[in-house]
Amino acid sequence: MSAVTRRARRTLLPYLLLSPMLLFAAGFVYFPFLESAIHAVSIVNARGEITGFAGLSQFQYLFSRREFGIAIRNTLKLTLINVPITLCLTLTLSYLCIRRRTLSPLLEGLFALPMVVAMSSITLIAKVLFNPTVGFINHALHLSLGWFEDRHTAMAGILILTVWMGIGFNFLLFLAAFRDLDAGVLAAAALDGASRGRLLVSIQLPLMLPTIFYVLCTNMIQAMMTNGPILILTQGGPSRATTTLIYMMYTAGYASSNYSMAACISLVTFALTFLFTALLFRRDRKAVVE
Amino acid sequence: MKRKALYFLSDLIVLCMGLLVFFPIVYGFLGAFKAPSEFAKQPPALFPESFRNLANFAEVFRLIPLPRLFLNSLIVACFSALVRIACAALAAYAFACFSFRGKHVLFLILLGTMMLPPETLTIGNYRTVARLGLLDTYLGISIVSFVGASQMFMLRQAFLQTDPELQDAAFLDGCGDMSYLLRILLPMNLPILTTLFLQAFVAQWNAYLWPLLVTNTPGMRTVQVGITMLTTVEGTNYETILAGVSLALIPSFLLFFLLRNRMTGSMKNGSLA
Repeated sequence: MSAVTRRARRTLLPYLLLSPMLLFAAGFVYFPFLESAIHAVSIVNARGEITGFAGLSQFQYLFSRREFGIAIRNTLKLTLINVPITLCLTLTLSYLCIRRRTLSPLLEGLFALPMVVAMSSITLIAKVLFNPTVGFINHALHLSLGWFEDRHTAMAGILILTVWMGIGFNFLLFLAAFRDLDAGVLAAAALDGASRGRLLVSIQLPLMLPTIFYVLCTNMIQAMMTNGPILILTQGGPSRATTTLIYMMYTAGYASSNYSMAACISLVTFALTFLFTALLFRRDRKAVVE
Repeated sequence: MKRKALYFLSDLIVLCMGLLVFFPIVYGFLGAFKAPSEFAKQPPALFPESFRNLANFAEVFRLIPLPRLFLNSLIVACFSALVRIACAALAAYAFACFSFRGKHVLFLILLGTMMLPPETLTIGNYRTVARLGLLDTYLGISIVSFVGASQMFMLRQAFLQTDPELQDAAFLDGCGDMSYLLRILLPMNLPILTTLFLQAFVAQWNAYLWPLLVTNTPGMRTVQVGITMLTTVEGTNYETILAGVSLALIPSFLLFFLLRNRMTGSMKNGSLA
């Protein structure tokens, strides 16, 4: 091979290496996003063809619908309750598991296990477990709640379910982060008379801020996207008590073929998620600087 | 002495919490052995009357083509994880070992895909896949998960940490660009590749919304979509659902117990996030 063709190959090669990933990113991430941006301001027929320009009228119509307000409220409720609970729960569990002991493998296994349990599996189990008459929860806790069949308790059921699904991965992340901390620093502080609580608040948690921040972000995005248990268990009901944004997008786009409505909802969901991420990033920078 | 008692107490509390987390799974497995009449009984019992009642499992096989569903899930999860890691590794190699025009912009474009949650893209992707004629195909189910920006990022970090003198030495010995990647860089980073592959595999194995959208014949569904069909088949009962769930969980648990350390490998290195 001559020196010239070798050089040409070397200048082309990186682009060749990048091309498969760029192709898929363009086709299945950026294209659908741009397409939904265009669909949101267009009149689109049921076959997905653009027949005219709609301006912002689709958004106006969407915001005037009661169902949309409910979907936003439900999604925010889920996110604002799920994220702090998951964070505190998994932090506590991992803190209690730091010390290596005979039981460690068992304990870690029990808490990490939800990680590999598919959403549809645990959702189907919950369907039976929370059943008002044959389910075990009502019986064991001496309750007579309707759970997924009652609009006042359906969301609580979904929350318990989604918190459970988040335990495994976050627990493992926090446990690894706790154990990664410099043992020397902790021992020195303990020698200086710092109590366990003081160690946790003043040393361990501040050092774990990057991990906590990562978990906050990923959990927030996941909670904003909640759709699986709704699809399987409640279909958004009863009386729309569990309709989330992604579920509403799914019904608009897939069940009713109203593509511009689905595009509007997906853009709003994306914008909200993006906004929350940006807010978290701003707060995080402040916390780190301080 | 006081310390020991405290440790014992905390162990006990943590164990109880662990069992509480594990309880729904146990409940599912126990329920799979119950006879229909046991579910009608009040108050609901936790344990089945007999563990020899396997009728529910037979019923699951009658209602849904379970072996086929397992095969579908296996093919789709392997295929999508393989392509995902392969694309990510090629891109990571370009970013780690070459300098070229537009490198920074292209890197940001690929990382930017993480900003767009896949759920918001499902309807658009559905129409693309339909236009390409890929509905109800393995390629159609896996194609949307070929982009793995975080995998690309982690592999780039791993490649950057590899000693550059190794590359010089390899090239002096006449090693080409591609054989350096395939014969030196990738084998050296096998542990992280395995971890990333397993994580991608489990994610695809457990996926629900997308496989539900793009499959419409029973023979093309994945396990996760298939078992939810047990709830819509007329006359299906709780015990059949739980039997289906139990069967669907077995491969995941086997994977978890055999390969847990491999799956969580990158967390232990602190390189995740």
